[in-house]
Amino acid sequence: MSEVRTLIVDDSSVMRKIVERALRQAGLDPLVVFEAGSGVDALELLKTQNVDLILSDINMPSMDGLEFLRQLRAQNLSPGVPVVMITTESSEEHVRQAILAGAQGYIRKPFTAEQVKERVLPLLNAA
Amino acid sequence: MLLNGVRRAATARAEGSGTKEMERTMTLSLRDSVHLVSDPKNLDGSVEEVFQLMLGVNCRRYSGPVEIAEPESVTAVVGFGGVLSGACVFRSGGSAAMKIAAHMTGMEFDEIDDTVKDGIGEICNMLAGAWKGKVPDLAANCGLSVPAVITGRDYNLHVQAPEFKLHHTYQFDDASFEVTIICDGLQ
Repeated sequence: MSEVRTLIVDDSSVMRKIVERALRQAGLDPLVVFEAGSGVDALELLKTQNVDLILSDINMPSMDGLEFLRQLRAQNLSPGVPVVMITTESSEEHVRQAILAGAQGYIRKPFTAEQVKERVLPLLNAA
Repeated sequence: MLLNGVRRAATARAEGSGTKEMERTMTLSLRDSVHLVSDPKNLDGSVEEVFQLMLGVNCRRYSGPVEIAEPESVTAVVGFGGVLSGACVFRSGGSAAMKIAAHMTGMEFDEIDDTVKDGIGEICNMLAGAWKGKVPDLAANCGLSVPAVITGRDYNLHVQAPEFKLHHTYQFDDASFEVTIICDGLQ
């Protein structure tokens, strides 16, 4: 697999590390990781960096993950790049909102590396 | 004061996610299913799930109090808002908090630094999410605040006359902690 440039958006630095570890366990290698602690920071970063995959939390202060996703699409940043939401919110309504906002995948916390692999690899292979 | 703040944040999040209309139509069914919402097994299942998947450890519930014989303890609070208002509260001694953070990150800690606080906040967040996810009506119509984490000594969290309260203690290896679900309003 060629280099996978991945943006992880989560206000928790611990969760960003856990997601990165799960991606490596899922076989994404070589992996280049960019981190953002909020939707605002993520949008700024994407103005200067190209990525292949975005993983974002939903429940974040200042700009939540759904608004980040809407802004991402509205500003036409990273077009065609798959976005997977990783969140504690797991109801059908939350999944529906994420899909409507433009997410291609949804992973519920807590998660296993195997679940990350199952959701992420097909998206990368299809991109 | 802190609980009021996290509850307001959770309520705003629930309303912002477009669930207000559903909340009105769900009122009767959630009130009718209070026995499901307050089922103690849901909390035990949530704790076991979060600790097994995120830390790779098996937790067991026990009946004694958490012995915090050390100067500092760590408390994390995640508020609920929407059809249920209240909070999920995690509390442990400093050494148990550092042990949990070590399992989460693969790092070693000798003080309660920002990474430990961050990790405990996330544990509380996942516990709150897993717990409300056990009841479908609650999962869809109840928002979560971002976690607030308190460290220090000689402090108490007081809630006036909750509608119901679940308070369980758990243990893995030699670390113990307590998780409390406080419901002070159910629509």
